Formats: sequence, C-alpha cells, structure tokens
Amino acid sequence: MRRMLVALVVLAATACAAPKPPSEPLAKSRLMEAEARAAALARAGDYAGAARFYGDAVRLATALENADAIAANAINLSVVQQWLGHNDEARAALAAILDNPRTPFSERRKLQAELRRAILELSVNNIGAAAIWIGQAERRCTNLSCEYAATLLNVRAQVELESAHAADAERLALAAAERARTNPSEMANALRTLGRARQAQGQPRNAIEPLQQALSLDRDLGDPRKILADLSELSRAADAAGDTRAARDYRERGLAVSRAMSDGKSTAEMEALLRR
Amino acid sequence: MTKLPPGRFARLALKVNAFLLIAFVLAGAFIGLVAYKQGWFLHQSPIHFITPNALGLNKGMPVKLHGFTVGSVADMQLTDGGVDVTLLIMGDYMKRLPQGSRARHAREAGVIGASVIDIVPGPGPMALAEGALIQFEPARGITEIVDDFRRQAIPAFTELKQAMGQVTQAGHDITQILAGLRHEVDQLPATHRAARKLIEEATTATADLTFQTTATLDAVERVAATMEHAVPMLSEKLASGIDSIDAAAGQMKKTGEEAQLTLKSARPLLDKSESAAREANDVLTAAKRVWPLSDSFKDSGDGMLPIDSFEAHGKGTAR
Repeated sequence: MRRMLVALVVLAATACAAPKPPSEPLAKSRLMEAEARAAALARAGDYAGAARFYGDAVRLATALENADAIAANAINLSVVQQWLGHNDEARAALAAILDNPRTPFSERRKLQAELRRAILELSVNNIGAAAIWIGQAERRCTNLSCEYAATLLNVRAQVELESAHAADAERLALAAAERARTNPSEMANALRTLGRARQAQGQPRNAIEPLQQALSLDRDLGDPRKILADLSELSRAADAAGDTRAARDYRERGLAVSRAMSDGKSTAEMEALLRR
Repeated sequence: MTKLPPGRFARLALKVNAFLLIAFVLAGAFIGLVAYKQGWFLHQSPIHFITPNALGLNKGMPVKLHGFTVGSVADMQLTDGGVDVTLLIMGDYMKRLPQGSRARHAREAGVIGASVIDIVPGPGPMALAEGALIQFEPARGITEIVDDFRRQAIPAFTELKQAMGQVTQAGHDITQILAGLRHEVDQLPATHRAARKLIEEATTATADLTFQTTATLDAVERVAATMEHAVPMLSEKLASGIDSIDAAAGQMKKTGEEAQLTLKSARPLLDKSESAAREANDVLTAAKRVWPLSDSFKDSGDGMLPIDSFEAHGKGTAR
C-alpha cells in the first residue's frame, strides 16, 4: 500500500515537473514548414521551388523577429539563387543580413553572409568586391581558427589567383588544405586551386598530382560539376606538360561528364578543346 | 310526509349487517396482509449491541447480511454505556449468524446511499443465541478518513522526499532530465532528416560501388597491368581500414559499457516514465557518439545549405 502510494505520488510529481508544452504558434509552425519544404526541394533539385520557400521563410522569420532564422534562410536563399544563375537576387538575399544593422545577428551568421557575398562576387569576376568581403569575413574568424577557416583561405587563394598572384595563391591553397583535413569538399577545392596556381606559375607537371587527388575526392563526394572542373584543369595541365594522350583522355572524359550533365556551355568548351 | 312504497326496505337490517361484515372482513384481510408483509407472523429473534454514539441509526433501519435484508432495527434505548440498539432477525436467518459476528454501520453505495446495519459474520461454529450482545463498529467520519489517509501518506511522503533528495544529490534532476528529453524530441525532425540524408548517401555510395565494380570488371586487363604498383597502396589502405574498424569497435564497446552503467545506475524508486526519459536520453547521447551516426548529428544542426568555396569558381555557378 505504501509503495503504491509512493509510486502514485512520484508519478504525479513527474507529471507536474513536465508542464504540457504550449502548442506551436501558427506563424512559427508555418516557418518550420517552409524551411522543411525548401530543404526538400533543394535536395530534389527543384531550385526554383526551393528559392520560393526560402523566400517565404525569410518573410515569416522577419515577422517573428527571429534573427537566426532570418539569416539562415537568407543565406540558403542566396545559395539557391546563385545555383539558378540569379546573381542579383542572391546578392539581394544577403543584403537582408549585411545591410541590416538593427537586427542582432550573431557573429557566425555575419561571417557566413560575408563569406557567401565574397564567393558570389568572385563567381561574377568582381575581384575587388570579393577581396573586400573576404577581408571582412576574415576579421570575424580570429586567427583563422573558426569552422570556416578552410573556406576563407580557399576563397582568398582564388582571389589571389585571379589577381595574377599565383605564388600567394599556392601558399594560401596549401594552408587551406592543411585546415581542411576533416572537410573533404574544401580539401578538394584547395587541391584544385593548388593545381591551378602551379600551372599558372608554369609548373604543369607539379599541378597534375594535386588535381588528380582533387578528382579522386570529388568522385567520392559525387559532385559532377567539380569532377568536370577537375578534368578540365587536368586536360590543360597535361597539355601544357606535353602529354597529349593523357590530355585527350581527360577531355573525352570531361565531355562525357558534361553531356551527362546536359551542360551545354561546358560541352561546347570541351568540344573546342578536343578540336585543337 | 312522503309515503314509501311497500317492500322497498324489507330486510334492510340484514343487508346493512352483511355490508358491515364484508367491510370488516376486507379491512381485516388488509391488516393481515400488511402484518404478514411486515413479518408480524414470523418468529423474530432479537440481538443487540451497545454503541456510545447512535448518530445515523434509526428504528426500522434494515439489517443486512451479505447485502440481503435479514432484519431491522427494532428498538433503541438510552443506557449507561451509550445506546442499546435491538435488532430483530427474521425467521431462520438467525442460524446464519455465527458467534463472533459483529454489526457495522454502512451505506449501500459507498459514501452516499441509504444507511444500513451490515452484519459481518464471525468465525465461530455455533449460531448466535437469541438476545446475544454483539460488537458494533460505528461508521467512519470524513475526519477519521482524512486522519487515516494522513497516517498512511506521511511515511510515503517521507520516502518520496528521501528519493527526491537522492535524485538531486546524484545530479539527475527530473526537470532537467525531462527538459533534456524534450530537447531531444524537438531534435527528432532534424535527426530524421539526417537519417534520411545518411540513407540517401548510403544509396548513392551503393550505386557508386556497383558502377565501380562494373567498371573494374571491364578494365581487368588494365588493372592487372598496374597491379604491381597498386598492391602496396592497397595494403596501406587495408591497414588503415582495419584500424578504423578497430577504433569503431572500441567506440561501440565503450558505448555499450556506458549504456550498461547507465542502466545499473537507474534508481528503483523512480517510476517508469522517469526511467524511460533518462534511458532515452542516454541512448540518444550514446548513439550520437557512435561512429556511423556522429557525423550526421553534427551536421544536422541548423539546416544550412553548404557554403562551398567552389561556388566562387565562375563555371561552377549553375547546377
């Protein structure tokens, strides 16, 4: 009897200790739904649909004054807009964070936004703007020891490479590879940039090994865009090294990947290279 | 004066007498029936008890044995020890009341319902004698019920207090545990997404493996030519793979030991839900540390798309 009473009272106390959670407010549940749908569409390759739902999520998060959700969804929106080739829209999405001093975004979100902006500017060859934004991001990453250190160094290396500072680019790419030991994607990017930097310095034979390592990693990661980029760089390096047979092999493989991706622009480039 | 017709009131006295006789017989029959129904013609045996307080007892109150009416309260007399209550037990029911039987004041439907005298049969082999004095158990008032509950509950509350003290000392506050559980439940959609991602990646890896296997079979000749060069590298990879498997096995063993320790430390006083909460929390924590799932949990935090420096490469913009 006493034990039963103890059990009953403990049960009652436990029930009291865990108050019934309040039901999710409508706007919050709509925000979560929009985020989930956007992520699902992005995974499925429907980037236009994903952009629509990320836009909805940014609006709902703004209505809720949820700074972290605003930043996360705006950054995701900028990514899918860039994938769609809508660079102005991608820039506008990041402006929700970078041009909004009143909202208290965390340092991490600001760093992410500045890094994304630098990537975006570099992708459209705005090298000066990219250098400014990557500098801003670097200041938030103390001693380059933050989680995005490898990405920062890779972007900085690409900025230097595009600015014809190939030696600096090689040094930065090596530093990026050092910090990307647990991040195969950035490791492959660092090796690819390293190969490009060596080739730009007239060392095509030294460029082939890191490019082959990058290709191996990218095949493991399963991103055809990166595989195509590696094969293109390898064909150029092999050509410059005088190994025409290997260069042709890389080009044919690149052409097959490009056709499989239905990437008209890359296919045309590869065919032009093959006709040489 | 009106003259009555001859013969109309002939034998009037006889008719009146017959009417009166029939009425008398009917009244008597009615009274007899009522008396029969009241058990006046049955032999009734008196027994009695003395109670210090006769509140709630009334004359005519039914006396029941196993819920069956066997008599009624016949009389109540004030005596020196309290009130002497006489019960009349009908017919042969007296022999069903063994010695040692006692009466108690009860209600037919628990706390509410009609008051009755309930006879609780005793253990004796012989029946009660007529006029026997039996024990009486008065009804318990609400105050007595509360007092009784308090007497039983106080030790229980003391044990509860001790149990809560032990839980607090062990650093396992129930609220924290439940909050932790709720947090883990909140993370379940993210976990679900991570698991789906893991499955998708596994599927992709399987497809890749199939593709690579086919390619390998097609290119056996080429592989044979480069075998001599590849064997040392393969050996190194195998060694590192075995090391990884060893490490994973060690980690899984450690996780198992932690789970075992957790189960051992579960306190028996905690109820099932609290135990379930803690165990679920431990299992989730342990699962997060297990090699195949650790990366998925790490990456499922904020649902961000990758920030990839490759996107800075002009040709890599469109997917």
